[in-house]
Formats: sequence, structure tokens, C-alpha cells
Amino acid sequence: MLINTVILFLRDALPIFVLVVYLYVHLPATKLWLLLSVVAGALLSLIYINQIHVIGQWFDGKGIELSLWIYQVFVYLLTLILGYGLNRKQSSNKHYLYWVAGLMVSLILVSKGSNFILYFDGYLNQSNAIQSMLLGTFLGLGICLSLAVLLYLTAQWLKQRLGPWATWSLIHIYVTGQLVNALPLLVQVDVIDASATAWSSQYLVSNEFELGHLFNVLFGYQASPSVAQVIVYVLALSIPLAFFYWLKLNSASHSGHKQ
Amino acid sequence: MNKVIGAIAVCFGLFCQSLLAAVAEYHVQLKDHLFFPSQITIPANQKVKLVIYNQDNTPEEFDSFSLNRDKVIFANNKATIFIGPLQPGEYDFFGEYNPNTARGTVIVEHQKQKAADAN
Repeated sequence: MLINTVILFLRDALPIFVLVVYLYVHLPATKLWLLLSVVAGALLSLIYINQIHVIGQWFDGKGIELSLWIYQVFVYLLTLILGYGLNRKQSSNKHYLYWVAGLMVSLILVSKGSNFILYFDGYLNQSNAIQSMLLGTFLGLGICLSLAVLLYLTAQWLKQRLGPWATWSLIHIYVTGQLVNALPLLVQVDVIDASATAWSSQYLVSNEFELGHLFNVLFGYQASPSVAQVIVYVLALSIPLAFFYWLKLNSASHSGHKQ
Repeated sequence: MNKVIGAIAVCFGLFCQSLLAAVAEYHVQLKDHLFFPSQITIPANQKVKLVIYNQDNTPEEFDSFSLNRDKVIFANNKATIFIGPLQPGEYDFFGEYNPNTARGTVIVEHQKQKAADAN
């Protein structure tokens, strides 16, 4: 039970920590949004878990997969709004970005945190499990916090050297990875047919091991991704990058003309 | 023109075939944090439906890295997962909440009928 709890933290808590750290570095002006979004996310997770049996019956039993996939799509779209916010010159009217970041944290908390509630709700009543679960929780939290500190320092260093686009790119890579990770949810309930495997790198870095877990969280690494996952990953990553680069060039040429 | 109509007819036929093709069902029980049967043999290159019945009083999460599947099965409930088409081989799965005991393998092999025909 101890090791299960630690693994659960690595799989489901680490993505929350990573997003919070990236956003914390990206939008440093005020921290109130972070606290509010964590509280809102925790409340939404409880509501989601409370209604999960009902949601599970929607769309012929596909409700949970569809809802989790929609959360990831929303988080991806919110990342694009964050990127668009960087392109805008007016610095005074950027308070909406804190709402966007807060919503992203809340949605990730619902999609990842609900797994915790299910696990703890199901197993905490077993008298022999409490001690090892608590120990596992401390160990898991310790690992997540250590990695979060390392990522914070890395993101901070990148931002100082390359500017806010560096931290946005980290968020964009992370969110694209999560979007691609959610694609098999649609395959497993037969909404889309995309099981053809593009390649297998299980022998190099397996998703079963710690490094595979970490890579999966940071940039959506899959040891045996499907062709659909590869296509979605490349398009979801490159199209916004190309669009924002074009916007930046466009605004630079406009300001050049004005001068 | 005839070629276009022919191509459309072939595509429509293939589409209908995939729609009408019955997906084989495989049933697995989860009891005392153990999968029964723990080995499921399915045909290669075919999509199949896996129905898992959780008979325990605690939830479990069906998880497989090689199959790329991840599904919560609530206590005393059932869950359905589609897997495949897969290449022949062995694909491990486990219960994320009890990975030491709840373990199993999906064995994918060519159908015996085809092997007999080949002989």
C-alpha cells in the first residue's frame, strides 16, 4: 500500500505540481489566484467524484472518458489564451490571464485529483492500510515537492535568460503532452479508432519506470504511441508556435512602420 | 466515372463491414484484488471488448502501459474497455491500486482456424 500510494502521487499529483510551478513562474505578480484556484479545484473534484456514477452513465457509458478528455481540451485552449496574452502590448489589461491560469489549475485538479479521492475513499477504511498510506503520502509529496523545486529553478533560469516565451513554451509542451495522453481515453471507449502503433521505445525508456513517468508528465512521452497521438502532438505543438511567431513578426513590422 | 462509382462502392462496403462486424467480448472478474482469468487470449489484428466485473468492495483502476489503457472500475460494478487491433504478443495489465496482486496478461495470437487452414 505504501509503494502504491507513492506511485499514485508520481502519476497523478506530479502533473498538478508541474503546472502550478510553471504558471507560478510565468505569472509572478500575485499569488492569490493560485490559492483560489486550488480551493476551487478541490471543491470541483469533490463535486465531480460525487456525481461520477451519473457522469459514467452518459453517452452510453462513455461519460467519464469524454469529460476527462474535454477537460484536457479546455486546458489546451486556455494555454493558447495565455500565449495570446503575451502577444498583446497593453500590460495594464492582463488581469484576465490570472483567471485563465486559475481555471487551468482547477481543471487539472479535477481530472487528476479525482483519482486520489477515489483511492483514499476506497482504501482509508481498511484499518491496516492507514499507516502505510500516510507514509506513502508523505513520501509521494516529498518527491513531488523536490521535483517541483528543481523545475521552479529551471523555469526561473530560462525566463531570466529567454523571457516569458520560454515559460509559456514549457507550459505549452506540458499541456500538449497531457492532451495526447488523454487521446487513448477516446480509443478505449471506441469513440475513435486509432490503435495503430507508430513505434516502440519500451527498451529505451519504458513508461513503467520512474524516468518514463517523469518524461510522460513533462512532455507527454509515450513508449509506444499510436499514429494518431504522434499526429495530434506535432500539430498541437507546432501550429500555435507558428501562429504566435507570425503574430510577433507582424506586430514588430507594424511598430517598425509607425516609427 | 465507373471507376469512381466502383471506388465509392468498395469504400462503402468496407465501412459497412467495419460497422456490422461483431466485436468479440471477453469477460474478466476482479475478486479479492485478483483477476480471473489472469490470462486472456484474443485474436491478432482484431478489436475486442473487455468487460471487467469488480466484485470487491473497493474501487480498482485497470491499467496497462503496453495496451495504453487506464480505466477506473467502481466497487461492485463493471467497466468496458475496447482493445486492439493488436500484433501477436503478450500485453501485461494490472490494478493500479493493488499492483502486487491484481495482475494479468492479454495474449494476442493468430486464430487457430487460420493456422489449421495454412496446414
